[in-house]
Amino acid sequence: MEGIKYKWTASFSEHFRYKFHTGMVAWAIHRITGIGLTIFIAIHIWSISHLGSGPESFNATMALYSTPLFKIGEVMLFAVIIFHAMNGLRIIWVDFFGGAKYHKKLFWALMVAAMVLFIMGIVATFLPMINLINL
Amino acid sequence: MDISLKIRRFNPEKDKKPNWQTFKIIAEPTWKILDCLMHVKNEIDGTLTFRKSCAHGICGSDAMKINGKAALACQELVKNYKSKKFVIEPLPGFPVIKDLVVDFDLFFEKLRKVLPWFINDERPPADSERLQSPEQVEKILESVKCILCGGCTSSCPSAWMNADYLGPAALLKAWRFIGDSRDHATEERIRVVNDHDGVWRCHTIFNCVEACPKEINVTDHITMLRREIFKRKL
Repeated sequence: MEGIKYKWTASFSEHFRYKFHTGMVAWAIHRITGIGLTIFIAIHIWSISHLGSGPESFNATMALYSTPLFKIGEVMLFAVIIFHAMNGLRIIWVDFFGGAKYHKKLFWALMVAAMVLFIMGIVATFLPMINLINL
Repeated sequence: MDISLKIRRFNPEKDKKPNWQTFKIIAEPTWKILDCLMHVKNEIDGTLTFRKSCAHGICGSDAMKINGKAALACQELVKNYKSKKFVIEPLPGFPVIKDLVVDFDLFFEKLRKVLPWFINDERPPADSERLQSPEQVEKILESVKCILCGGCTSSCPSAWMNADYLGPAALLKAWRFIGDSRDHATEERIRVVNDHDGVWRCHTIFNCVEACPKEINVTDHITMLRREIFKRKL
């Protein structure tokens, strides 16, 4: 039939035109954080590779990471890891232990756990800095 | 009450691209979206095209995208929506034939791949039927409810991106027979669904569960299929 565009898939934009539910939000963030972690791993390997060119080179790279901007980056990285790990647990639960029946409750329970871990991480990151100021 | 229906329309004889048309009508709060569409077709514009049959959520022919989510038009009541501005589109991921009518050919082709019929060459016991225990019935009870409206497959982002993916509807049907104690073709069906375009293409996004008008937890059934395959590999 002329005029009919035969396409058995939807364009990528359909994702944004469809209503977002808990499962789709979790899936989308999981993918984005996954890409973020891949980029981090590349940067991490790059900085570790400085060990090969002697202690001065490695220390210079490490000094870069102690700037406040990288501290914020560290906190963001921690958030990304926590989400990816917690949602990963949810996916394992859904796949192996029948978590699909209560996946929304599982998601929010794990997000509460993620929040607690995140706050603990922030405290651990910034507490040494506060102590330094007091000294 | 005053409501507005923004409908995505496409006439293959005239249009190159789909376009939007808004109808303002007076509807009863107890009307279903299907009643609103019937009102538009009967009273305002007879060219509006959509599928319907039983109008009571049994035949599954009037699945469409209502306010951004796949649903059965005959099950959605106007009064259950806060906003009285409705956006109605054909099911996503299916080729549009006209207005809200989409092509289901590939959907049924994929369904046939999982052998969606009862296979058992043995004769039933002479004095009775093939009996099942309540536990055996319980295992397949939810999957039997499927009316093949296509809502799940059409709402699945994995299916949007990959036309070869069997889709939630076909996988659910596979479970309906794999889980059936009377059926003898389990291994054949396991072979079909144990594929990267079978159960492993599902990314547990749960859009199918949200879309299902019969409230079937489709994802749960797909993960049950995965565990069934996993057990065989141990």
